[in-house]
Amino acid sequence: MNNRYKILIIEDEANILRFVAALLQAEDYFVITADTAEKGLLMFTSHRPDLVVLDLGLPDHDGTLLLQDIRKTSPVPVMVLSARSEEKDKVEALDMGANDYVTKPFGSREFVARVRSILRFNRHCAEEGKLGGKFTAGEMTIDYDARKFYIQDNEIKLTQTEFNIMALLSEHFGKVLTYSAISKEIWGYFDSGSTKKLQVNMANIRKKLSLKPGENKFIFNELGVGYRMHTDV
Amino acid sequence: MKNKSILKNIAYTAIILICAFFLSLAIHKFFNAPGLVPSIFVLAVFLVSLLTQGYFYGLMSAFISVLAVNFAFTFPYFEFNFTIEENAISALILIAVTTLSCALTAKIRHHEALQTEAEKEKMRGNLLRAISHDLRTPLTAIYGSASTIADNYSALSDTDKLTMLTGIKDDAQWLIRMVENLLSITKFDGENVKLIKSSTVLEELVDSALSKFHKRYENIKVDLDIPDEFVTVMADPLLIEQVLINLLENTVQHAKGFTKLSLKVFTLGNKAIFEVKDNGKGIDPEVLKTIFTSFSHSNHFDGKTHSMGIGLSVCATIIKAHGGSISAENLKDGGAVFRFTLDLEEGTYEQQI
Repeated sequence: MNNRYKILIIEDEANILRFVAALLQAEDYFVITADTAEKGLLMFTSHRPDLVVLDLGLPDHDGTLLLQDIRKTSPVPVMVLSARSEEKDKVEALDMGANDYVTKPFGSREFVARVRSILRFNRHCAEEGKLGGKFTAGEMTIDYDARKFYIQDNEIKLTQTEFNIMALLSEHFGKVLTYSAISKEIWGYFDSGSTKKLQVNMANIRKKLSLKPGENKFIFNELGVGYRMHTDV
Repeated sequence: MKNKSILKNIAYTAIILICAFFLSLAIHKFFNAPGLVPSIFVLAVFLVSLLTQGYFYGLMSAFISVLAVNFAFTFPYFEFNFTIEENAISALILIAVTTLSCALTAKIRHHEALQTEAEKEKMRGNLLRAISHDLRTPLTAIYGSASTIADNYSALSDTDKLTMLTGIKDDAQWLIRMVENLLSITKFDGENVKLIKSSTVLEELVDSALSKFHKRYENIKVDLDIPDEFVTVMADPLLIEQVLINLLENTVQHAKGFTKLSLKVFTLGNKAIFEVKDNGKGIDPEVLKTIFTSFSHSNHFDGKTHSMGIGLSVCATIIKAHGGSISAENLKDGGAVFRFTLDLEEGTYEQQI
């Protein structure tokens, strides 16, 4: 029982806290909770959870401040809950280091899938280290050393840039990477033309992987925000 | 905008005064009826006051008219003379007419503004009524089912509880969509449209909309036909996504007996044209007339499906704010099609990797 994932939920709305906790407990996660930012930080430092679910609208401090505090000391995955659904709010939280951004109201199935996805990414990083060896998720395999990309053992020929993008997304499996974060990693800068350049490359990748719109396979596209690699959301 | 209206005012003033001047000149020359001239200028000044904004242009033209009449059309001709009492009085009359007609026009304009404001207020009222009505039904069901389960937990069978819980879930989901639509509308508060258009990849837009649609309706297949090329439109992506979801959902809720649902996008000139088509029972011609303007046109008789309520009028609001057009029509061989247009992004993008 000791190797169960420990999840800290920081949320001030009692009803939401109760249902999220019950949902995660039903999935056999070990759940601890806090209803203010201050308590949250205390719980975080003393319990060292594997995942933090953080509501941005807390009564004592803005959740983003807490996110920054956590990021100062720890790379622990943080999943942000927020009632704000504007693209710029999402981009801000993600660029500040949140791993995922879930807009209220959300469905239980989707929520659990995203929690699983984040925890899996974390395991992938912990076990495989950074960009070495092979990465496998569902039908997808990436051979970082040979720089090859496979779907069900069939090699898909990607250009250098396309491969770099897929490798980057896989390195952050389950996390939405914003347009600017990806551009900075791939081209070293982000300017007005970067997003378009990235979108063109993504369109080519989708074509090569023969992904159909609406299938929601391998790559999730968060309109106006960025991309996320996944298998089961 | 402001410069444009100033130019317009100046143009009106100049044209009217020049016309009046030449008309007077003609009358003076051919009919020798100098008594007519001042009335023509009175009419001109009145027209200027009516067609321009504020007092300035009216008073300006009154002043010019007084000078013109005095200079050209009253004795002594082609000479200013205010010493003759008659001339001074006619000048005063002209100015009085101008001031009064300007005041009247301003009053009428104010009244019109009030009326449109009242109409808007009325529309807002209708909208609120439609929404409240639409909210009450699912809320009643949620409240009723939840309290039934809480109060009779052990007396109810598991199947009953599950059925009621599923009902609660469905109603809550419907409420969520309603709120999403309402939030979209709040982006258009009055005339200040807060629309942030960005270059949006068509394929990604359709992908996101369909993914969300499939989450709600797992078993409904949408036949898709979009261009192979890399196409971008100028739009607020989340709002257009909402339009697509609303249109698809509207078909599921209202196109009884449909077996095919398709989404087609193609480009024509500098426009992208979106079509949501089904082969259901079509739209009642009476409903079709006001399909995008009335807030609640569905029948609640079957008691099963909720109305889209404001869904289609939200679509129309969003598309109009984008400068596009939206329409609905019945197809000859059954079914209906909803069609809307968006501007393509200007300039073709050179593919670079």
